[in-house]
Amino acid sequence: MNRKEFLSDCGRMGFAGAVLSLFPWLESCSEKAKQEVSGEKARIGIIGTGSRGMFHINHLLQMPQVEVVALCDNYRPHLEDAVQYYPQAKQYDDYRRLLEDKNVQGVIIATPLYLHGRMTMDALRACKRVFCEKSMAFTLDEALEVYNLRKELGGVLFIGQQRLFDPKYIKAMQMIHEGVIGDVVGVRNYWYRNNDWRREVPSPELERHINWRLYSDYSRGLMTELACHQLQNGSWAMGMLPEKVMGSGSLIHWNKVDKRDVYDCVTAIFTYPNGVNMTFESIISNKHFGMGEQILGSKGTIDLVTGMHYTDESAPKGSGMHQLVEQIENGVMSNSVFAGTSWAAETSALAPGMPIMANVKVVTGESSVGAEADGSKELLEAFIHAVITGKQPEKVLEESYYATQFALLADKAMHEGAILTLDEKYRVPYEPLKTK
Amino acid sequence: MALEFQYSTKNPLYPVTYISFYAMHTRIEMVAVGQQECAGRELAQQLEAEVKAMERRFNRFDSRSPLAVLNTRAATQEVEVDDELFLALELCEAFRRGTAGYFDVATDTSVKGQVSYMLNPDKHTVRYTSSGVALDMGGFAKGFALERVRKMVTDAGVESAVINFGNSSVAAIGHHPYGEWWPVGVEHTRVSGVMAREVHLCDSAMSVSGRTTRGEYHIVNPRTGGTVAGEELILVEGRSALVAEVLSTALYAAPRAERTEIMKQYDGYRVTELYCREGGLTESREL
Repeated sequence: MNRKEFLSDCGRMGFAGAVLSLFPWLESCSEKAKQEVSGEKARIGIIGTGSRGMFHINHLLQMPQVEVVALCDNYRPHLEDAVQYYPQAKQYDDYRRLLEDKNVQGVIIATPLYLHGRMTMDALRACKRVFCEKSMAFTLDEALEVYNLRKELGGVLFIGQQRLFDPKYIKAMQMIHEGVIGDVVGVRNYWYRNNDWRREVPSPELERHINWRLYSDYSRGLMTELACHQLQNGSWAMGMLPEKVMGSGSLIHWNKVDKRDVYDCVTAIFTYPNGVNMTFESIISNKHFGMGEQILGSKGTIDLVTGMHYTDESAPKGSGMHQLVEQIENGVMSNSVFAGTSWAAETSALAPGMPIMANVKVVTGESSVGAEADGSKELLEAFIHAVITGKQPEKVLEESYYATQFALLADKAMHEGAILTLDEKYRVPYEPLKTK
Repeated sequence: MALEFQYSTKNPLYPVTYISFYAMHTRIEMVAVGQQECAGRELAQQLEAEVKAMERRFNRFDSRSPLAVLNTRAATQEVEVDDELFLALELCEAFRRGTAGYFDVATDTSVKGQVSYMLNPDKHTVRYTSSGVALDMGGFAKGFALERVRKMVTDAGVESAVINFGNSSVAAIGHHPYGEWWPVGVEHTRVSGVMAREVHLCDSAMSVSGRTTRGEYHIVNPRTGGTVAGEELILVEGRSALVAEVLSTALYAAPRAERTEIMKQYDGYRVTELYCREGGLTESREL
């Protein structure tokens, strides 16, 4: 889906206009914005051409408005993977040299977490427009430092929180803000996989270089790699930030097969000022329940992953017979499924639910690289647009900033065995997204 | 719950009426085509009143109902009943015999599968055959009421309508305005919204029996007194809503080997056993 199709989809769903006022970072997806950069190209450098970097390259190859002019990776096999797609691009093994390249307008950083903050700040100082993978930084202090530097220098900074650009999340949030599910009374997030999360290592000395996600010197594990995506759901739905965070994390399974030291099993609870809890749970030695993100309301539930809306009204509405009415109204005949054994009251557990929009694309969350149709491409396109225009969209960075801060804070709470609040010094201006 | 009435002229060729109300422990709905709004509203009120009146007459737990009176007194004396109840009991006895005893309104009988009551057509009286007999018309009343509703709707001049009694019994008058029948999907029991079978109704009716949508077994085998625990659905299609209702219940209770034998007595009724499998698949077997 390109940007035009994206907004066209929103238009078909009847919420294009509202979308732009509610989610300002989507402005770059409009036809007007597209005209604004018509015929122009963004000259991009990619720092980190491992699995996630290649995932972005796959999208960039589909974007005529992009010219990849520089590639950088200090692991030669990864660099060569990318070079085959962009043989004309300059090659670097030190990102600082790439940042000196005046031909590069914008950079895409897809490196291990511990490098995100440093590389982002170096790139901003080099006047590059920056897209960095999530999470934004390795520590709470570093995230604030990045945020403040971007504010000071006024450049473009996007973080890889692709749900902000996924049409079904946008539609769901709009419905939630309109009160379709009543008051938000709970938010459930979980992400289960059953794999060792390892990449193949050609020789032992490269273990930490390639499998950086497993070691706390380079990564905060499941909280920064997975939770960070889901933690924005609560704030996004309720228009407020969590007040306190608690959690528990352990190594229960995969430490039997390697020497990793980040948790492979975590549970965190985020309590909002109104008392509502948001949970996040991840286990990577059982995949039965997969990935789930559910907003629970006093009148119903929206499942963000499947794009389904379930009402809590206990009596079915006779929908099959109503479908017959609609068919006649519209001059058509098709099957109407309603017959069966006797209707039983209180069938909410069996309620079939309704898709929140046509053609919902469901992502399983099994891939540890990325998934198609999850907003990643639209996010990247918005960044490319910003590289050309030099305009930072409103609010998008704050959403990403707080997703990172609360992921890091929960990780800290787990390690300290404490209930934590986000220190005042980390608070940056946050205007909640609310339907006017 | 109040009577729901909707009238739409969005399609000027075919104005459509939707009505819905609760009676007999279920939701009753009708979609009718081509009526005037006033006539539709009036008919809706008449239908609700009639079905609720029938519910009261056949409710054995309502001490004022003729059936409750019968249950109290008929074991010791002949009890005179009104025409409607007498007709209903005649039909029930005919169905009991016509289903090898797998349809039986008698409960708590000491001699299962035997005659529970005697009818005297000259005096319109009923006498139970033993003191343990009580009649429960629940399994009969819905089909009986659906037949009555269909007749009332037809008598009101409606030529195209579909009437739904709690999803398990459906009757059609005429056909869908854009087709030669009313298309009705029988829902898969394991996957919501998925169709296990498509039924075409035109001046005909259908009934489905099996576990409830909550997965409960609720049909009793009158010959054993035990609950029937079949996994299949029994779908019966044919002219009469009442016969379809009675047959689907009786055939669900009857062992598979006896079903074909029972059906030899009924012309023009089609019976299908539906087995809903995991993943939305359905296997079917025609009797």
